[in-house]
Amino acid sequence: MEIIRTEDLTYTYPISSKPAFRDVSITIDKGEFVLLTGPSGCGKTTLCRCFNGLIPHFYSGKLEGEIMVAGLRVPDHPIHELAQHVGLVFQNPENQLFALSVEKDVAFGLENLGLPRDEIRERVDWALKVTGIYDLKDRAPYELSGGQQQRVAIASILAMRPEVIVLDEPTSFLDPLGAQKIFEVIDRLNKRLGITIILVEHRLDLASKYADRVIIMNEGRVVLNGRPRDVFISDEAQLVGVGIPKATMLYKLLRENGIELGRVPITAEEASQMIREALTHDRG
Amino acid sequence: MNMFDGFRFRRVSSPIHDMDPRVKFLYVLVIFAAAVLFDQLLPLLVLFVAQMPLILVAGVKRECMRSMRGSSLFAVIIFATNMLSLYLYSGGGYGSIPSIIERSLAMTFRFMVLVESFSIFFLTTSPDHLGLALEQSGVPFDLCFAFTTAIRFVPVMAEEAQTIIDAQKARGLELERGNFIRRVKNYVPVLIPLLVNSIRRSLELAEAMESRAWGASPKRTNLYVLKMKRSDYYMIITSLIILVLAAYIRLYISIPSIYELLSA
Ligand SMILES: Nc1ncnc2c1ncn2[C@@H]1O[C@H](COP(=O)(O)OP(=O)(O)OP(=O)(O)O)[C@@H](O)[C@H]1O
Ligand SMILES: [Mg+2]
Repeated sequence: MEIIRTEDLTYTYPISSKPAFRDVSITIDKGEFVLLTGPSGCGKTTLCRCFNGLIPHFYSGKLEGEIMVAGLRVPDHPIHELAQHVGLVFQNPENQLFALSVEKDVAFGLENLGLPRDEIRERVDWALKVTGIYDLKDRAPYELSGGQQQRVAIASILAMRPEVIVLDEPTSFLDPLGAQKIFEVIDRLNKRLGITIILVEHRLDLASKYADRVIIMNEGRVVLNGRPRDVFISDEAQLVGVGIPKATMLYKLLRENGIELGRVPITAEEASQMIREALTHDRG
Repeated sequence: MNMFDGFRFRRVSSPIHDMDPRVKFLYVLVIFAAAVLFDQLLPLLVLFVAQMPLILVAGVKRECMRSMRGSSLFAVIIFATNMLSLYLYSGGGYGSIPSIIERSLAMTFRFMVLVESFSIFFLTTSPDHLGLALEQSGVPFDLCFAFTTAIRFVPVMAEEAQTIIDAQKARGLELERGNFIRRVKNYVPVLIPLLVNSIRRSLELAEAMESRAWGASPKRTNLYVLKMKRSDYYMIITSLIILVLAAYIRLYISIPSIYELLSA
């Protein structure tokens, strides 16, 4: 069942003459884990802003085409209504935490919705536990590492129980280990809770294995859209210049040299497994 | 950076910290009124000493000492100007030097009592509690939110300013050079990036707020509520007794000066 659909979506920022992205037509199904990537400035962030109505309600400018999210036409519904269906996690964790304690921050959205206090309490505790930061609930934001802050940001979105969570480069301020932890949390939300995930990411080596689908944008257009293996193996992906996983690159190199591994690997583990198999096969 | 440490409120628990901020504020007002009622040294000294147990119970002795030390320059100025003006007008009945000193000391202690009670209030009230108190006193939520968010970002901005200063110094900026005007000008390359960053930050904050359903419901809930406890009522009663007592003493009891007591 589809949860997001855009048709020939084109958007131009107010003072800009050129569209930030154009003719984007994509469909995202409920429960999917979609990885959105592409070179800097290709319009990924701008597209994400459309999913919860920041565009066109917060940023004015010109939005053409159709966009439906959770059965709602985005231009017809205010952000606070859309925000209950689509949660947006931003790049800089520091600038999305307002309160003086973790717990209060996670409660912020629910307080805005005017939910009863007992329910807020229940949902906050739940979100803190799912993201593994329950022990931090009384800390102040400046007492947390970047990775912990980002998990607070995810928890505060999760507490609003959206169907879709969009994360715009959530790990770009983090080290690889911190990034890995964030990906694991996101994967848990997707696999255990069935939340649809749209993850904007440059670290394809780490993130690819979780995705059901990869969408690559370039210069404001969607250029590739499909299963991770199919997308990464295509020559076009290499031309666009996204960081194709090293395992897939290795596969391509081997294939050019006449060695066929059978399946396209995405992670280092997969690749080493396949190479080991191929070697024993050779000897046998 | 030290200057901003005060904004890093540490979550500690003590009978004073746990007190309702509104009650604490009432207490500060009462002390304020009492300090203004009296102009003799003895009662002001009593007020000053009587608050010390609160500081000890709250465990903020060190922080309190620091704010007292911070205001000591002011205290000296107050003492000196009082001495000077009383001496010049000594025709009025404050003739002898000891009584001029005593009166100047009284004015200084009046100031110190105010510093002391404000310190107790701010050192033991978390900004969160303060915001909540404002909210429950009927201040519009937008304002309360602006207040707590501003406090939340003080340490962040301080850190950012330090980073910018370091980066500009690495590029050859010399902050501590030249006369006063020159020094102020030196800060321009620090202030501009700081300003630009703040604007960007506020935009990002606004986006994040919108994404969390800001303004969804006209009747916003708050996770916390301030509820008066038994001890809070005791504190209210104590504050009122202090007020009544102070007024009574002021009106009906003649207060001896310490100098008289000593010389008698
Ligand atoms: N608030 C804005 N106002 C005007 N133009 C903008 C705004 N934000 C982005 N743009 C422009 O829109 C285009 C797409 O930017 P966008 O931020 O969506 O790219 P991105 O894919 O997210 O890049 P990155 O990987 O660097 O985050 C860029 O040309 C950018 O200059
Ligand atoms: Mg971006």
